[in-house]
Amino acid sequence: MAVHLHPSAVSTANVPSAPAARADGTAPSTPLRSVRPAPHTSSAQELWAGLHLNGLTPVQRLEELASRAQRFSPRVSLAPPDGLLLEVAGSLHLFGGVAGLRRELTGECGHLQPPPVLAFAPTPLAALTAARAGRALVIEDPAQLVGLLAPLPIAALRWPEETCARLARAGVRTIGAVLRLPRAGFARRFGVAQLATLDALTGRSREVRATHRSALRFRRRHELDCELSDHGRLHAALEPLLAALGAFLTTHQCGVAQLECRLLHRNGAPTSCRLSLAASRADAPQLSALFRERLSLLQLREPVRALELRADQLLPQRSPCRGLWQLGEQGGEAAEESEGLIDRLCARLGEGAVHGLARRAEHRPECAWAVTSPPALAARRATTRRAAAAEHAGPPARPLWLLPAPQPLAAQGGLPRRRGALRLLSEPERIETGWWDGGEIARDYYVAIDRHGVRLWVFREREEPHRWFLHGIFG
Amino acid sequence: MGVGDPNITRLLEHPAIWRGRSAAQRAGLPTGFTALDEYLPDKGWPRTGLIEILVTRFGSGELTLLMPALAALTRTAAARWCVWVAPPLVPFAPALVSCGMELDRVAVVGGSQPLWALEQTLGSGACDAVLGWVRQVQHRQVRRLQLAAERGRTLGVLFRPRRAARETSTAVLRLSVEPCASGARITLLKGRSAHRAVLDLPWPGS
Repeated sequence: MAVHLHPSAVSTANVPSAPAARADGTAPSTPLRSVRPAPHTSSAQELWAGLHLNGLTPVQRLEELASRAQRFSPRVSLAPPDGLLLEVAGSLHLFGGVAGLRRELTGECGHLQPPPVLAFAPTPLAALTAARAGRALVIEDPAQLVGLLAPLPIAALRWPEETCARLARAGVRTIGAVLRLPRAGFARRFGVAQLATLDALTGRSREVRATHRSALRFRRRHELDCELSDHGRLHAALEPLLAALGAFLTTHQCGVAQLECRLLHRNGAPTSCRLSLAASRADAPQLSALFRERLSLLQLREPVRALELRADQLLPQRSPCRGLWQLGEQGGEAAEESEGLIDRLCARLGEGAVHGLARRAEHRPECAWAVTSPPALAARRATTRRAAAAEHAGPPARPLWLLPAPQPLAAQGGLPRRRGALRLLSEPERIETGWWDGGEIARDYYVAIDRHGVRLWVFREREEPHRWFLHGIFG
Repeated sequence: MGVGDPNITRLLEHPAIWRGRSAAQRAGLPTGFTALDEYLPDKGWPRTGLIEILVTRFGSGELTLLMPALAALTRTAAARWCVWVAPPLVPFAPALVSCGMELDRVAVVGGSQPLWALEQTLGSGACDAVLGWVRQVQHRQVRRLQLAAERGRTLGVLFRPRRAARETSTAVLRLSVEPCASGARITLLKGRSAHRAVLDLPWPGS
């Protein structure tokens, strides 16, 4: 196997042991000699399959294709926007040589129109270039590489337009002609980057390509021994799946924030039971407790014959940071408990049953507040505390309760009534705003007291016919 | 025989006799009203446990009584949540802010199962205070809530109609609040080592 160490990887590995590591991140230069990149002879053992998709392909499609191509080789890399590379030297014998592999790969892309071009070469760039040129070459012997690439047009290298045009003016139209040019002069006139491309093409220098890693996900299915419709038993049958998920998450140091349990029936469409969490979790017992709540709410039309647990989005999970103080002691944090509490409440009462409150800079009372998602306990900012302290320095009276919509009041002699006459306590506070967005109001607000002594917040419309409304209760 | 009788006094000096008034004093949560602090058994609201506030009608001033203490709870460095379970109307955010409350510590829980939500929040240990509005609650359920509040070291406040005063309750403190001229009339119905009495509390600024 070829071991290749990228110079930057080497240098970062060296930094902690070097006492004189510089602050700008550059590594000391002395110890690099011993771990030079492997010589390019190793590329002789490689065989790359280049796949060129005709037409524009979104990155998601390319990634999806790369994930499927991983069954041919673990080393798959993307060449956006329209290329895919596979290192297949190790897997040729599994598919009956190049011809067999070509057949399988073409079958895998069978649904793509027009069909992609597939070329094999010892270097990744050569395979890709041949495929881009539309030539389904098979170059297994590195000695034949240059000879077979020579007739291809330079456009397949995807150099800048201007470079290609200058080369064309000099009468250079094929890769063979470019390779015949003197290296020093070529580098001076067309740039070192272009020379590096040529070196990567012929295998003179080794090209490193990032291996594509498909996104992790968890899916596991459990066939039940007999059909179940009892929620308690279903939950018990789900336990092993959740335990497997917990082990999987621990191994991969991931957590889940969205989890789906599909209950499969004999005839009908599967019933879905989704769990959305306030924060990502990796703890199987907690997830199990949440599913118990969720399952108990589920209406099953048919008995269940199989369970499937799906977690498609895994989030990186850091091990929790424990405080010195116990919960409830001075300085003890309750952040974890609060997340657990929100999850439990939402699992039973439904999404949106728990919300936070926010204030908005608005004069209209009905627009001066907003519903927010419940805030995390840990995120406390000192700025909000200062701002709040500055704000409550004697603002106009506001009721603690606001009615969802102003409630019309009867009036007698120009004064409002609500189960008896109301006594107005305060001077009017005029709120007249909102003409710019169609929600214009023009009201005079008063604090009133009713027959029983309950303090109310009422207003009188400024426009005719000067109706009275109840808008809040002081509480 | 009166309280000042020397025989009684001598009898009360007997070490086997414990009097309620000498029970350990707990530091209560200052209410923000000096007269109310003096009136309540622990010189303030209890920090842990369930209290019941019985009102003749909604909006008698029961929330105004609590606001200074709740605001102080949300402003401490290690503040936990202040949860409102099944409030009958929307708590008006600008009014909460003008009372000095930190809105990032306030959560509102709606839904159809207020008693279950109350027990969960009280017992979770994530809340400093939980306010609950429950229409019908039985003696047994109040006891469950009281135990949950002690488990979670939380102050639970249950708002109930005045007629609930006829039922017994395991709450630490029971008050009845009714509006009176420019203030609230508070009647202490139950409290550890406290006498039943009536307090007329005028609202500040009125």
